[in-house]
Parts: sequence; structure tokens; C-alpha cells
Amino acid sequence: MKEEVVTKDEATVPAARGAAAEASGEPLLVVDKLVKHFPVKGGFPIRRTVGAVQAVDGIDLTVHVGESFGLVGESGCGKSTTGRLITRLLEPTSGKISYRGQDISHASRKQLAPIRSEIQMIFQDPYSSLNPRQTVGKIISGPMEINDINPAGGREKRVRELLEIVGLNPEHFNRFPHEFSGGQRQRIGVARALALEPKLIVADEPVSALDVSIQAQVVNLLQQVQKDLGIAFLFIAHDLAVVRHFSQRVAVMYLGKIIEVGDRDSIYARPRHPYTHALLSAVPEVNLDGDEEAQRERIRLAGDVPSPISPPSGCRFRTRCWKATEKCATEEPPLVRISGNGPGHLTACHFPEEPTTGARDEDIVLDPALAALEETEG
Amino acid sequence: MTSPLKTEGGGASVVVDGDKESAKESQTAQVEGRSPGRLMWIRFKRDRTGVISAYVVGFFFLIGLLAPLISKLYGKDPYTVYADERPELFDSAGVPVQPNGGISGDFWFGLEPGNGYDVFTKLIYGIRTSLMISLAVTVAVVLTGILLGVTAGYLGGKADFFIGRVIDFLLAIPAQLFFIASMPVVVSLFVSPRDETPTYVRVVALIAVQWALGWMSLGRILRGTTLSLREREFIEAAKVSGASSRRIIGKEILPNVVTPLLVQSTYLLPNFVTAEAGLSFLGVGIVEPTPDWGQMFSKASTELVLQNDLTYMFFPGVSMIIFVVAFNLLGDSVRDAFDPKSAR
Repeated sequence: MKEEVVTKDEATVPAARGAAAEASGEPLLVVDKLVKHFPVKGGFPIRRTVGAVQAVDGIDLTVHVGESFGLVGESGCGKSTTGRLITRLLEPTSGKISYRGQDISHASRKQLAPIRSEIQMIFQDPYSSLNPRQTVGKIISGPMEINDINPAGGREKRVRELLEIVGLNPEHFNRFPHEFSGGQRQRIGVARALALEPKLIVADEPVSALDVSIQAQVVNLLQQVQKDLGIAFLFIAHDLAVVRHFSQRVAVMYLGKIIEVGDRDSIYARPRHPYTHALLSAVPEVNLDGDEEAQRERIRLAGDVPSPISPPSGCRFRTRCWKATEKCATEEPPLVRISGNGPGHLTACHFPEEPTTGARDEDIVLDPALAALEETEG
Repeated sequence: MTSPLKTEGGGASVVVDGDKESAKESQTAQVEGRSPGRLMWIRFKRDRTGVISAYVVGFFFLIGLLAPLISKLYGKDPYTVYADERPELFDSAGVPVQPNGGISGDFWFGLEPGNGYDVFTKLIYGIRTSLMISLAVTVAVVLTGILLGVTAGYLGGKADFFIGRVIDFLLAIPAQLFFIASMPVVVSLFVSPRDETPTYVRVVALIAVQWALGWMSLGRILRGTTLSLREREFIEAAKVSGASSRRIIGKEILPNVVTPLLVQSTYLLPNFVTAEAGLSFLGVGIVEPTPDWGQMFSKASTELVLQNDLTYMFFPGVSMIIFVVAFNLLGDSVRDAFDPKSAR
């Protein structure tokens, strides 16, 4: 049912989304084999590098002009690191980030200056992303000041415009961040990101610190901004429902690697990777009718994500996968379009699942405690 | 919600009109935000102890500042040797004849046994000297603390390690002993021991010695604050916009370290006043005839004064106790006003 609604929705808005949906269009940001390892120091008295947290370990992704690209995954899988690498808050260990064909992976601050205004970021925590000692007007006009942009009519007028765009009272530009609520603060963060008229916004969990009713408002605001101003988004989130609402294409990350990528429908309706199945099955859903047909598959994984300091060999998901074999331990599955996938739908798995999220004959419950519980219930 | 495109395009003039109208409104509606500094000021004004302490501290600074004017109106100066001018006021040992150290309508706080200096002018000039030195030390310490603390916190890594070890090393030195031992050494760097030491050299040496061992605690606090600020997302936001390190330190970090800076400096200044007084008391600070707060205690503890004129100690002692207590209470109030969550 839901999928139909989505497709209808797309048909009614052909202009903006149609252009974005043409994924083969102009690539804006291309990330190639991006790696970020954080060294782990240890030893006494001489400290040296004894290992590395492999936060991001060779990911490829492409964001097209005007497109919204979602990046989902569990906590600690490297989503935020990816976002910070792309905005060059972190220096990549290896790999290449190119923006409109220009390699920015190791560019200095001066070299980056012309691109800075085109790639902006929205942060997770609205309480720490605004300087408490600056007025809202100063916060929003700061980026313009740094990049020496003088909009027609002055910066103050532009700030008022931006405040209106994000749905705040333009008269509030003289107020301080502590006088606003979380949702309003996040809107200020959005206005700041928009101040430079960027082409790409990296949104690092922009709504996960907000409560649910505010989340919807902010997501709708971002969607509006994306549609109206044609800004491409790299939307990092752990909330699958939000990403589904917002992104045309979605990549699923696990332990520093992208394990499945495709357009929204492929990922949400026809996932192939066992991990994607498990993630989707974990989304809570209210089923008031108790309708048998609408039943979804149930997968309960056991254990935690392995340590990124020493990730498992071969397929990184194999330690928690119910299909893992010898092959998974020795051979790393490449991220390719496997048979049965639509165009642009890539999966990194040796033994992909069926492309459905319907209920299985038997639930997969890997957690022994949970399994025992289910048995006593059943 | 208004469409962004509309507001950018044809709606621009409407927005401008709206601005004018609402600007008029805002004069009455008070849309002006209250800055954290303003909130702090409002909280501070509610704190009666703090306000009284502030007045007391301000009074002392005023006295120090206006000492020459006051002594002119009073008609005496701290250098006149009244034992020679008005010998009838002293007995053969040089002790004031009148009771209570010679307190009279002419000499409000009495006369100093021995040379017979006027205690009142001596005290206000002494306050002036002490506060000037302590203020200079505080300014030097604040500047050094900002420079080294913020640098260590912001740069991290090797710079942080190096500055951290320097701080550890200096903190390990016993301060009072170091002051006493190093004062003559520093003075002799400028003046040959055979010549008479000019007062300004002693003042500079006092400032330098106290500054050298005074900046570490503030530096450490600022390092910690900067370290935690550096990880905040608004710093990252500034970086994403392409801000230079200079701008990040100047516009994003420094305004946010003002709170611990102000609180710490209000605690540091009375400490420097007492330390300076201590050094002068021990004879390595300011010496006669230059008036100094601490040096008056040293005078009060000489055999002649101690046995004959206990009143002499009263005025400098009481005034210093009032000053130090008031300044510390002020420090507490400033801290409470800035950070209402901290325990009282």
C-alpha cells in the first residue's frame, strides 16, 4: 500500500523530483574508496600507534545535483565520520573526494575557500551547534562575513529572509540561542547552512536530537528547502522512517562499509542484504488490524557490532549473519548489482536474501535469551 | 509556511515594508534578546552580598586612585617626618605622646612611632601601591593565561603537551620560597647591589616574580575550557564555513571563556594583594620610605611599635581584612551570577 502512495506522489511532482530521480544525471560529489582510520595510541613510556579504529573503510558513493542521498546505519558504523570527511572537518587517510570533478580530499583551507560556500553542514545537536554568545543574526551572517559575501540589501536583510524561509520570526534576529527551543535552534542551524546558497548540504542526524513532533516539522522544512532551492542533501540518520521520507537514494552502512545502496524503493521494498532486512524488520510499526498479509518478517540479531579496531575478516556482517559460511570469512563480497536487482541497486553479499520484506515461515531469532522468551510465549 | 522562492523574488519589497513596520513595533514590544552577559548582570544585581562587596572593593580602588587628591585635601603627605617637624608630639623614644598612637583631629589614624609618618596618608598611598602592583600582575597573568591556555587547548597535541609540562614544572615550585629567594636576584639583575635600588625596579621585580608563578592555574582552566569548546559543533560550523583559526579563536572561543576568566581573576587579585603584602612584610618587597600596605605590617611588628603602639597595626590590618574578604565574596557572587547551577 505504502509503496503505491509513494509512486503516486512522485508522479504528481514530476519537475523537481523527476530531475533528481534521474540518477544518471550530473554527479555533484563523488567519493572513491574513502578511508579514515583513527590511530589508537598505547604503551608506556613511549606511546606509539598500536592499532586503528577503522571508522570508514573504503566507501564509494555519488551524490547527484539536487538529489537527496540517505546514509543509514547503526551507531558507530561511520556515518558521521563520512559526513565530516566530506565537509573536510577530518582529513581522510586515503581515497578521493571530488566535488564537481575537483579533487578536494587533501585541499588546504585556502584551496577549499571557493568550495566552502557550496558544501554546508547541518549538525546533530542544536544545543551545541550555536554559539551561546552570539545573536541569531550574527550566527547566520557569520558564514557570509567569512566568505565576504555582500547580498543585495545588506546582510541583515538576507538574515531576515533566511529566518522567514526556515519559518522563524524575522524580528528575532537580535535574540540569543538560549531563548529558543530545540526545534527553533535547529531551524537557525538550517538558516545558517542556507546562508551561503550551497549546492550540497551534509545533514548529520539533523533531527535525532529533537522530539518526534518537532522532527516532522524540521524534516518537512528540509524537504521544502531541498525541493525549492534544488540543494543536494547527504542525509545521515539512523532513523529509517525519516530517511525513507526524505531521500531518493539510500545507502546502508555497517562497520565502515556500505553494504547496500539503491533507490528508496529498492532498499525499503526489495532489500537483498541480510543486514538491511534485519534493520528494516527492527522498525517498529503499528498494525491495528492484525492483518496477516501485512505482516512483516521478523529478524532479531544477537550481540553487538564488532569493534572497528579489529573488524571481522571477509564480510563484516558475518559474525551476526544467519547465512554466514566459510566463504564469508575468507572472501569479502564486492558491492555489485547482483542478479534480481534493479538498476543502481548494489549489494555486497555472497548469499543475498529474497527481495521482499514479507513475513517468513519462521522468524529469525539469533539472540538466545530472546529465543527462549519467544518459546515460552509460543 | 511562505514559499522560499516567493520571499526571494517578488516578495522582497513586501518584506522591506514589513521590516519598517515591525521595527516600529519592536520599540515597544522589546524583541531585543537578552545576552548571556546581560542575564549575568541581572542575576548579579539581585545578589545583595555581591553588590555590597562590589561597592567595598570599588571604594578601595577609588581610595587608591584618588590618594594624591585625598592627601592634598587632608593637607599631609606620607613622606613628612613629623618626628622632626612636630617633636612635641613624641616622647624621647619616638613614640607618640597622645594615647592610641597619637590619634587626634590632625592625625586621624595616628602617627608612626619612630619616624613619625602620618598613618592615614601612608595607608592610602600604601593601598595605592599594593593595588597597582596587584592589578598589573593580574593583567599580566590574564594575558599569559589566555595566550598559553587557549593555545594549548586549541592546538592540542605537541603544543598542549609542552605547555602542560611547563605548567606542571612551575606548579611544583613552592611559590612563597621562590618569591623570597628570587626577589634579590631579580633586583640585582637590574641594579648593582652596592647602589641604592630605585623603587620602580622593586616594583617591576615584584610584578615579574609574581607573574612568573601566578599564571598557571588560570592557564590550566582556560586550556580545559578551550578543549571542551573546541569539540562543540559551532566551532565545526565555523570551520565548514571556512573560518580561519584566528577568527575561530577570536570570535567563537574567546567570548566563551570570559566566564571562567572573570571568575578566576576576581579570585586571583586578592591573592596577589596578600602575596605582595607578605613579601613587603618579609622585607623583600617595597621598602621605606615608599608607602606600602604590607610594609606597614612589617613596621608594626618591629619591637618599638609592637611594645608601645598596638593601634598602629589596627588600620592597615582591618582595611586589608575588609578588602580581601569583600573581594572574595565578590568573586563568589560573580561565579554564582555566571553559573547559577554551581553549588553555593
